[in-house]
Amino acid sequence: MINLVHLEPRAREIIALYEYPKAAMLPLLWLVQENEGYVSCKAEAWVARMLGVALARVREVVSFYNMFHTQPVGRRELRVCTSLPCVLRGSGELMRRIQRELKIAPGETTPGGEVTLTEVECLCACEMAPMAQLDERFVGPVQLDAASEGATVATLVQDARTAPGRLEATPDPEPYIYTEGPVLSSRLMDADGTWLEAYGDYAGARKALTSMKPGEVITEVSRANLRGLGGAGFPAGRKWSFIPKAVDKPVYLVVNADEGEPGTFKDRYIMERDPHMLLEGMLIAAYAIGSHKAYVYIRGEYFLSAQRLQRAIDEACAAGWLGKDIQGTGFDLEVVIHRGAGAYICGEETALLTSLEGGKGFPRLKPPFPAISGLFACPTIVNNVETLSCVPFILRNGAEHFAAIGTESQGGTRLFCVSGHVNRPGVYEVPVSVTLHELIGDFTGGVREGRALKAVIPGGISAKVLTADEIDVVMDFDSLRAAGSMAGSGGVIVMDEMTCMVEALESAARFFADESCGQCSPCREGTGWVHRIVRRITEGRGKPRDLDDLLAIAGDMEGKTICVFADAAAWPVQSYITKFRTEFEDFVAAGRRTPSAEVAQCRT
Amino acid sequence: MPDVIIDGQEVSVPRGTTVIQAAEQLGIFIPRYCYHPGLSTAGNCRICLVEVEKNPKLQVACNLPVTDGMVVHTRGEAAEDGRRAVLEFLLANHPLDCPVCDQSGECDLQNFYMKFGLYDPRFHEHKVKKKKAVQLGPHVMLDQERCILCSRCVRFTEEITETGELGIFNRGDRAELAIYPGGVLDNPYSTNVVDICPVGALTERESRFKVRVWYLSSAPTVCNGCSRGCNMDMHFVLDRPHLNDGRRVVRVKPRHNPDVNQWWLCDAGRYGLGWIDEGRLGEVRERGATSTWDAALAAIARAMQESDRSRVGVIASAQLTCEELFLIREIFDGARVSAAVPEEPGACDDFLVESDKNPNTQGARLLGMAGPVIGDTTGGLGGSADVPDGQAIAQAARSGELDVLWVFGHDLVELFGAESAHEIAQNVGLLVFSGTNENATVELAQWVVPTAAYLEKDGTFVNCEGRVQRIGRVFAPPAGVREDWSVLLELAERSGRPRDSHEPRTIFAALAAAEAAFAGLTYESIGTLGAPVAGSAARVMSKAEPTP
Repeated sequence: MINLVHLEPRAREIIALYEYPKAAMLPLLWLVQENEGYVSCKAEAWVARMLGVALARVREVVSFYNMFHTQPVGRRELRVCTSLPCVLRGSGELMRRIQRELKIAPGETTPGGEVTLTEVECLCACEMAPMAQLDERFVGPVQLDAASEGATVATLVQDARTAPGRLEATPDPEPYIYTEGPVLSSRLMDADGTWLEAYGDYAGARKALTSMKPGEVITEVSRANLRGLGGAGFPAGRKWSFIPKAVDKPVYLVVNADEGEPGTFKDRYIMERDPHMLLEGMLIAAYAIGSHKAYVYIRGEYFLSAQRLQRAIDEACAAGWLGKDIQGTGFDLEVVIHRGAGAYICGEETALLTSLEGGKGFPRLKPPFPAISGLFACPTIVNNVETLSCVPFILRNGAEHFAAIGTESQGGTRLFCVSGHVNRPGVYEVPVSVTLHELIGDFTGGVREGRALKAVIPGGISAKVLTADEIDVVMDFDSLRAAGSMAGSGGVIVMDEMTCMVEALESAARFFADESCGQCSPCREGTGWVHRIVRRITEGRGKPRDLDDLLAIAGDMEGKTICVFADAAAWPVQSYITKFRTEFEDFVAAGRRTPSAEVAQCRT
Repeated sequence: MPDVIIDGQEVSVPRGTTVIQAAEQLGIFIPRYCYHPGLSTAGNCRICLVEVEKNPKLQVACNLPVTDGMVVHTRGEAAEDGRRAVLEFLLANHPLDCPVCDQSGECDLQNFYMKFGLYDPRFHEHKVKKKKAVQLGPHVMLDQERCILCSRCVRFTEEITETGELGIFNRGDRAELAIYPGGVLDNPYSTNVVDICPVGALTERESRFKVRVWYLSSAPTVCNGCSRGCNMDMHFVLDRPHLNDGRRVVRVKPRHNPDVNQWWLCDAGRYGLGWIDEGRLGEVRERGATSTWDAALAAIARAMQESDRSRVGVIASAQLTCEELFLIREIFDGARVSAAVPEEPGACDDFLVESDKNPNTQGARLLGMAGPVIGDTTGGLGGSADVPDGQAIAQAARSGELDVLWVFGHDLVELFGAESAHEIAQNVGLLVFSGTNENATVELAQWVVPTAAYLEKDGTFVNCEGRVQRIGRVFAPPAGVREDWSVLLELAERSGRPRDSHEPRTIFAALAAAEAAFAGLTYESIGTLGAPVAGSAARVMSKAEPTP
């Protein structure tokens, strides 16, 4: 029998961090899982009692998020990513080999209880594809050639069987940072992280808090042309200005660190290697919007990010950069880290708020918009990690300097995440005036093994694919929109001539079917329907009319749901089939890859 | 008051009104699954998509506040194609087991497909399999495959009953409506989830597989289960008795009345009608032997004429209609008459259920046939304190002070105990019992006359808040059974006190003329939703404007 009484003091501390007990749902479930290994029925009842909610509410949450186990699992968990960027670099073969070595299928535990194998959607570590996560640690690229150095299937499996806490055979991943500055990547090189002593004074925040009015800060950020870098590209200063001027409710700043868009891995580098840059940006933003409480919603798989950001918060509190009366200015800011638990949709800002309040990650109907009624029905600004991390630079160096780096409508740089078939996958800080062509050719060393480029997804898996002759496009939001795609999260997924677009679409379609929250009918039913058709095609049972059906279904999904997830799921279908129609038709007719695409791309 | 144009018609509505509500005012029906006016807005089914000029995307009418000058199209290619698409998605994984589904015939998937769908289906994949025939509680069955996850039932249990039994577990197309393992949906209002389920996912155990809905007849009435008087529709079958084991009542559905019960009904009221088709008295009896109405009424009339009025007693009932109570009061003028009997208060809650289990106590008070209730909060509607109560009349009968005692519906044994009841029967010259069902008093009475159940007659009740409501007439009484009002009218005739009225409508007119509280009210003004009596504190929510 499970007795959770010993967790109650800790549970009460956690609940006290939040305005409403129910918001402690995810942290309490994490607490239980960390202590018991899984969330049993008794644990659900305990959480329901601690939070004063109905049992069904707890079960809804437990069953919604991928990372909670409802049955006992092995002492370790090996999560293997099989999303598109990893697929392009051989995750299919990696999964097969791991299964062969461990003699279990995904979802199963080895007979000795050593390890549970889990197949997961994108862990946002695409720079080290193909990759896996052993408990809290990322491992990759996992070499499929046994004679290779570094992480191999053999060392990974060996580690998986090793008791937790013992020395592991796989090395830590290489750093995949190739730029130093000017805005975001100045301090990302150190794998151990940049801590307060090295980071130094929060000079931008000091300037804002001591010499500027909140409205002046908003004006400065607006003049810098800072756009929301989570994916939507909404002008950050304008967003901040939506907070009502006279409110009798608390105002919240919520940081979207639920990095989940396949092909994106920048926010993790910021949180792990330069967390004070984020905290300083948060402090400036909080001052601008009049918020004294900030939450950072970090995706559940980012254990190290949460640990390092917490360390930075503790440092900042001790140094008087967070907490009460910051640097004697009278301004207060409390920062609480809230960990997700495995749901891509929580990166959607209103789903994030629902999740933070202790519910399933369901996006909300708008109106009302978060700036009017967001977290706990109070005015709320949700900003992405990278967006906020640009703010210290703007305050320190001036809006003009930042604006001058970018294009006319978008200032600054971005941390572009390049994955797939390039020679050097990784994070590249480049002014947004760069073209996709330059980014791939000049920065990443081009397509691997001298092969020809076939297609590029410029802004995360949701963005419409561009063909090789469409890459002379500037990477800012407006240019990519004009080119019929989107800048999105800055995740650039490169596909060479060996890529089978049908299989690529199958991976994308499975991602969206797995990750749809299931709230709106067009998305819930449409994503599953699309995936079943595409899977059937890849299994050789396609019919000629499938392609037109897919386009029609995708069209029917567009623009009819609460959030844009359904649109994001429709765009790959439309763009892959439209731009590579002949390849799809050949695949359907032959029931398999056509000779032109029949190469070992997924097996290397 | 913003002005909005919907399908070319203009309407002014209060601020905060949504497009779906504004359209309703114009008589334009926008289809809906998840939207329910009694619940929070979920906006998840997406069937209410409409086209709004100057807006590139279709909008859900249920969550779109009207703004001044807004132009909305519920017809036209964009909106119609949007609805068609949503329907096709909703039906993609739907099992299409209509031939064995109880909802068939009143299912909004069927209805909207015929009205807004009519596409050629394109779904040829394997459907997602989920659980079928799951018993959620004493009254409700769940079919997860039929569920379209509109979440109305979840919101009902969260927001109305605040019991939270139901949830939607898992995500994507694996999402399923369920109850927590081992849980039971047995809150006092549980069956409302069946009423609000727009499809065949939640069905009623009691009426399952009995009668196809197109064989059902429906008539409006009110519940007699307590003094709230919830409005309801009685669904019954008369011409195919084999479908329902000979019972007429098949099921009960709440009827929307914003001032009384909103959209809801308690399970106790819903399932409290078994007596109407069971254990009914069907013949006039004299000392247990079959007799006739003619003989009975002749005997009673004679006894009344021969007795001094002060030696005649009537224990009437707050189960009778206002019209019947009024007739009793007039016909038995000078006799000892009361509609109040000692009864233990029943269960109540802070929502619909009242502890007074009689539907017309307030009517009896207004007619001076029942005393006030301690702690009465209805604003001075309580009756006079010098009304005798039924207990005093029973005591008088027991001690031989009465020649005639007429008991309406009550069981003296249950009320006063077997010993007292027997003494009453021995010491009263003539004990008359009129009522619907067999009970112990039937054995003691000299004359037993079978009278109609409330569903079988027209008339009015006054609910606890002072609202007069018509109970309609759902169906006729069984052969040989007569309405109390008709019995009373004949008795008046035979005992030399004929009345001008000949049916409930005109009896009510006479009542309204005689009683200030009812002044000006007619069956027409009462209508289907009732009307407050003068001086009552009855809520008039239907006329309240939504606050901005």
